[in-house]
Amino acid sequence: MSTEAAHHGSPTASEGEKAFDPKLLVFCCNWCSYAGADLAGVSRLQMPPYFRVIRVMCSARVDPEFVLRAFERGADGVLVAGCHPADCHYIGGNYRTRRRIALLKMLIQQFGFDPERLKLEWVSAGEGEKFQKTIVEFTNTVKELGPSPYRGGV
Amino acid sequence: MAENVQHAIAQKKDEPAGANEWEPKIIGFLCNWCSYAGADLCGVSRYQYPTNVRAVRVMCSTRISPHIVLELFTAGADGILVGGCHLNDCHYITGNFYTEKRLRLMKKLLEDAGIEPQRLRLEWVSASEGEKFSKIVTEFTEQVKKLGPSKVKKDAALKTRASAADGASQTFRLRALVGKELGLEKTGNVYGQKLDQTELEKLIDAATKDEFERSLILELSKQKARSVKELGQIMDVPTDKVLRHIVVLRQKNMIAMEHPDGLTPTYKAIEIGGEQ
Amino acid sequence: MAATDKIGAVMVVGGGIAGMQSALDLADSGYKVYLVEKQPSIGGTMAQLDKTFPTNDCAMCIMAPKLVATGRHHNIDLITNAEIAIVDGEAGNFTVTVKQKSLRVDPKKCTGCGSCAQKCPIEALNEYDENTKIRKAIYVRYPQAVPLVYSIDQERCIGCGICAEECKAKAVEYDQKDKVLEVKVGSIILVPGFDEFNARLKTEYGYGVFQNVATSIEFERIMSATGPYMGTILRPSDGDIPEKIAFIQCVGSRDEHCGNEYCSSVCCMYAMKEAVIAKEHTSQVKPSIFFMDMRAFGKEFDEYYIRAEKDYGIRFVRSRVASISEDPKTKNLTLKYVADGEPKEEVFNMVVLSVGLRPPADAEHLSRVMKFRLNDDGFAQTEVFSPVDTSRSGIYVAGAFSAPKDIPMTVAEASGAAAKASTVVSSARGTLVTKKEYPAEKNVEGQEPRIGVFVCHCGVNIGSVVKVNEVMNYAKTLPNVVYSEENLYTCSQDAQERIKQKIEEHKLNRVVVASCTPRTHEPLFQNTIREAGLNPYLFEMANIRDQCSWIHMHEPKAATKKSKDLVRMAVAKSRLLEPLQNLTLKVNPAALVVGGGVAGMTAAIELAKQGFKVHLVEREKQLGGNALKLHYLPSGDDPTAFVKQLEKEIAADKNITVHLGAKIKSIDGYVGNFKTALEGGKEIEHGIVILTIGGQEYKPQGEYLYGKNKDVLTLLEFKDKLHKGEAKGNEYAFIQCVGSREEGHPNCSRVCCTGTMTAAIEIKKKDPNAKVYVLYRDIRTYGFREKYYKEAARLGVTFIRFEDDEKPKVEEKGGKLEVKVKDEDTGKEMHLKPDYLVLAAGTRAQPDAGELAPMCKVPQTKEGFFLEAHMKLRPVDFATEGIFLAGLAHGPKFVDESISQALGAVARAGTILSKTELEAEGIVARIDETLCDGCGICVPTCEYKALDVMADKKDPKKKIVEVNVGLCKGCGACVGSCPAGALTQMGYRDSQIYAMIDAMFEYEKPKQEVKQNEH
Repeated sequence: MSTEAAHHGSPTASEGEKAFDPKLLVFCCNWCSYAGADLAGVSRLQMPPYFRVIRVMCSARVDPEFVLRAFERGADGVLVAGCHPADCHYIGGNYRTRRRIALLKMLIQQFGFDPERLKLEWVSAGEGEKFQKTIVEFTNTVKELGPSPYRGGV
Repeated sequence: MAENVQHAIAQKKDEPAGANEWEPKIIGFLCNWCSYAGADLCGVSRYQYPTNVRAVRVMCSTRISPHIVLELFTAGADGILVGGCHLNDCHYITGNFYTEKRLRLMKKLLEDAGIEPQRLRLEWVSASEGEKFSKIVTEFTEQVKKLGPSKVKKDAALKTRASAADGASQTFRLRALVGKELGLEKTGNVYGQKLDQTELEKLIDAATKDEFERSLILELSKQKARSVKELGQIMDVPTDKVLRHIVVLRQKNMIAMEHPDGLTPTYKAIEIGGEQ
Repeated sequence: MAATDKIGAVMVVGGGIAGMQSALDLADSGYKVYLVEKQPSIGGTMAQLDKTFPTNDCAMCIMAPKLVATGRHHNIDLITNAEIAIVDGEAGNFTVTVKQKSLRVDPKKCTGCGSCAQKCPIEALNEYDENTKIRKAIYVRYPQAVPLVYSIDQERCIGCGICAEECKAKAVEYDQKDKVLEVKVGSIILVPGFDEFNARLKTEYGYGVFQNVATSIEFERIMSATGPYMGTILRPSDGDIPEKIAFIQCVGSRDEHCGNEYCSSVCCMYAMKEAVIAKEHTSQVKPSIFFMDMRAFGKEFDEYYIRAEKDYGIRFVRSRVASISEDPKTKNLTLKYVADGEPKEEVFNMVVLSVGLRPPADAEHLSRVMKFRLNDDGFAQTEVFSPVDTSRSGIYVAGAFSAPKDIPMTVAEASGAAAKASTVVSSARGTLVTKKEYPAEKNVEGQEPRIGVFVCHCGVNIGSVVKVNEVMNYAKTLPNVVYSEENLYTCSQDAQERIKQKIEEHKLNRVVVASCTPRTHEPLFQNTIREAGLNPYLFEMANIRDQCSWIHMHEPKAATKKSKDLVRMAVAKSRLLEPLQNLTLKVNPAALVVGGGVAGMTAAIELAKQGFKVHLVEREKQLGGNALKLHYLPSGDDPTAFVKQLEKEIAADKNITVHLGAKIKSIDGYVGNFKTALEGGKEIEHGIVILTIGGQEYKPQGEYLYGKNKDVLTLLEFKDKLHKGEAKGNEYAFIQCVGSREEGHPNCSRVCCTGTMTAAIEIKKKDPNAKVYVLYRDIRTYGFREKYYKEAARLGVTFIRFEDDEKPKVEEKGGKLEVKVKDEDTGKEMHLKPDYLVLAAGTRAQPDAGELAPMCKVPQTKEGFFLEAHMKLRPVDFATEGIFLAGLAHGPKFVDESISQALGAVARAGTILSKTELEAEGIVARIDETLCDGCGICVPTCEYKALDVMADKKDPKKKIVEVNVGLCKGCGACVGSCPAGALTQMGYRDSQIYAMIDAMFEYEKPKQEVKQNEH
């Protein structure tokens, strides 16, 4: 499916009728993904406005507790974006991230979350388009899953 | 405004027009201060001219934008006559100089769109030139008759091209170039140089062609994703050039690639474009 | 000349990756640097590349930090859009006249927002994208350009005045004049890079005529996510995915007809990389590479070659393509070539020409005004033993300007040239650099947070989408926010003054700026609040442009809401910010150089010349290492005499202490403060380490009767015999790749092909009637070394190519050697009866590398060579700060390359040794000793080996983890791994991140004031 065009219908949905507006938290590592997100901006690539980025130095800094906290507070989805495995500014930090996210996916399932609400993606500083694609697809995934079972806090 | 005029065209249909003889529908935009007065004088003096022209009064001939012209052709006009004051006589000082520049763009756009540019005519008619007015109307009506009925309204392909030309005329780039054209030639640019008219016209014509083709790509890919080859064939533009236009449109976030399974990607216009 | 006449400044000509490296090394070592670039922005060719071999790193990702560091360094002056006009004076004291073309934009006012270019009605082809995309008449070369200043293309601009109307910062200056600058410097480094070969000259390939024939650099842009097709591989004629792509090698290289006989060194690898990346980007693509010899000679390049063929299915065809013709209808291309002895025709959808490297167009101009020599091919002339010196004293060269070369060698040389440039003016070090002075820091400890929020319109970039005023007013409702305002450009010079003023007026102790990205602007604002007496870490940014207004252009309501959320999150974190101190570490200005070969000796001498104490440790009883075994160099230079000369210099230099026959027992400490113990009890204290422990020739394990027949010798053994006149015979055979490119040692040893040519030429020169056979797999005489291959062939040396799976067979019959080999090119079985069989045995790592690696906490490759911090951009650094490497210890290489690297290591070491103390990042990990139970789970998570389990000083029975802040880089990877929650990342505390998460999910209801130190 088209990634660039996929977003074109959403403005009316968000500005007009009150559809489900997911709340998405995105962790970006400083060196690659955050730069990739910036590049998407510089290239004016449009995407749905439901995500908020928290910048960390390395995706390996993303503590499982951060993810759980976000879900607990009502996040509908959490995306962790890091450098491609070989590009990590901190040599091998993101290999750990990969293992950690795999475990976390199993864990959130136990809490009644669809594991697809948590996503890990590699986005390099040159991949503005990939950042856009990732956001569009993740937003669509979460929209399809509907609001988080914890929405509104616990 | 365009709607009022369209109404005029619609009414025209109901009039009996000889047995089977086709009569062209012509709109005449006349400026308040010169041409309209000229037309009045023509009437007062009882000069005769064909009944095909429906006159629309505007304050100044610069009021006529490419958008109005293209919309009228799309609605079924067979010819459009624009009448203004003679150069240097404009009630608004320089208005008609701009009209002249803009008309050139319109003709270029009509040509690009495949509509005979002879269907659009600009004439200077002063308040005292009643006879000239009747002569012009007669002549222009004859000219349009010779061209035959405009196909824009019936021909879907031509209609698409017309709306592409309309789209192109509304881009900031063309509006800016044509808006600045006169000043660049007459008063000089920011470096204090007066630009050569021929050179500048060449540049604007090239930009017009590019913007028209880009606009046409968007029109054609609005409903349905299309490949470069398909677009090239419909538009009769070499495929490498179509691709270069698509690169520009993607850069502006106005068209998107549909990721293909095969070897031929297709592109679909994004309804709300990136460029304001 | 008196030392006082020397000028402590260096000019670097060329702003590519080499220029940036030289400039950064020098500016970090106490010199003022003028970086002159002919384009309006720096970055050079590397900025155009999509990925880089052999790691497939994204070029922009790894380069951007250097771009930003160069642009921001307060001791580097960028002189862009400029050319060198006149050079007067001599080494130590040059006067350079520079002509700077007007940008027609005031760089001080331009904020790089790009509104002007969006509205400019004039389109032009974008050179950065190799004309595959368009730009405007007012433009920046690429979005990440440094300096991020727009400029007017004077050829294109029609002077309509729209850009000035659009520019809210009033930066456009149509009447700005060209400038002539006079700059005084002590030395000059030339790094102007290269030009690509003009493929139009090879008319048989139809470049410029056939639409689907592209050059390799154009293909680089075609592949790039920021290129015309946004990362999908398409062909220019009709936008179809070119299923069959042919890469044609040696276009404009190894080709007498076009005047370039040399090999361009990089094309084999970049073609393989492009083929692999093309396949990764667009899986339908099936690339074929047409080549003569596959020259994958660099570190781990052959492994890449293997992966390209096995894992990616890239097809390799050993053939030179004769011609290309185009089907006018389909625009497909038919290649004519000969393979397996038969003429073939094959249709491709697209062709990429691997164009060679040429000297830059301004090479002759530079040579004329600077009075240094160019070689026959038009590159800067250098000598084997002085690889970064031009023929004029005080002027140095690095990168592709002296010979075609890849990025790692370029970067190492750039550092090497910096070392030499530094030595010339080392007496004036520190005389022209400035240190920023800041007012005393206000103590905010225990104070209630008083936050000021500044919201930026960024001209129309934010303001046209986000309701800035609403966001600004919203910020006022947030707890602890005592002041908020909106600015047209928060980054403008006058806004900085306002921020400082407001800090005073409202007693602000935290500042939040909601504008663009912290990646480019955080340091600016941090500097501003520092000037107002606030600790720079009391600053936080909300990115409401790049990650909001620009990507939600058509959703103003949602974008405004998002901006408010982002501001709320930033304020929430800001409330919990605390001042951080950049720790300082004392530096001991002494060096330890391990290994006394040419690399080690070079490093020691250069460091000593710059005034640093050096301890040179050599395991043997004699300095010189492998160079003493070479006897011949193909250039005719004498390596033995060179070693003698270096020994003399070392003996005469009081700064150098040589430890012969010495073995290292332990190395402890960290950057600035190492302690090394030698066996036998000697102790050395030093601030840095350079590992130049060399390599050794592989001893064949019985291959080809080695060790069984006395006439089977390794290349070095044979050269020794030849040198002594003991090698007598009529027929000689050389077998290449013995112990290289094989199971267990898959990589190329780089030097053996050229070494074989040297020996073969020597034999033929002595006895023109001698029969000499070279049995090879690929001849890898890269760069100018190609001429030795040519010369050997001209002298009548016979080359026989064999395949890996059909190695030559060697037998001994009646004391006589018999070699049987199938010539792959003719298919004929050859029988040779050589008097000597010479095995070009590979280069191996020194076995003691394995002992030193754990002592220095540095990694090794699987072949035992040391593994640098980054294969591409940090070729002589280790990830562990303060430790460097050079020469064969890094991998096989030639003497000149070892010398360049050794000099490079000197420049890198100089950035540390020249300082009395080092500033470590404030963002580091800290450990709460009361919580840590010493389990050590965190230790392996640290890539920098900054964590260690130790006995607790207070309670020796208890174990705790210690963070060595000298080594910590502040990634925070360890923090998440600690089961006891004892580790914290300063600046990114858990509490701070939780505050942001919580703030994200609370909606627009102002909360109770929060008192400081609640966390």
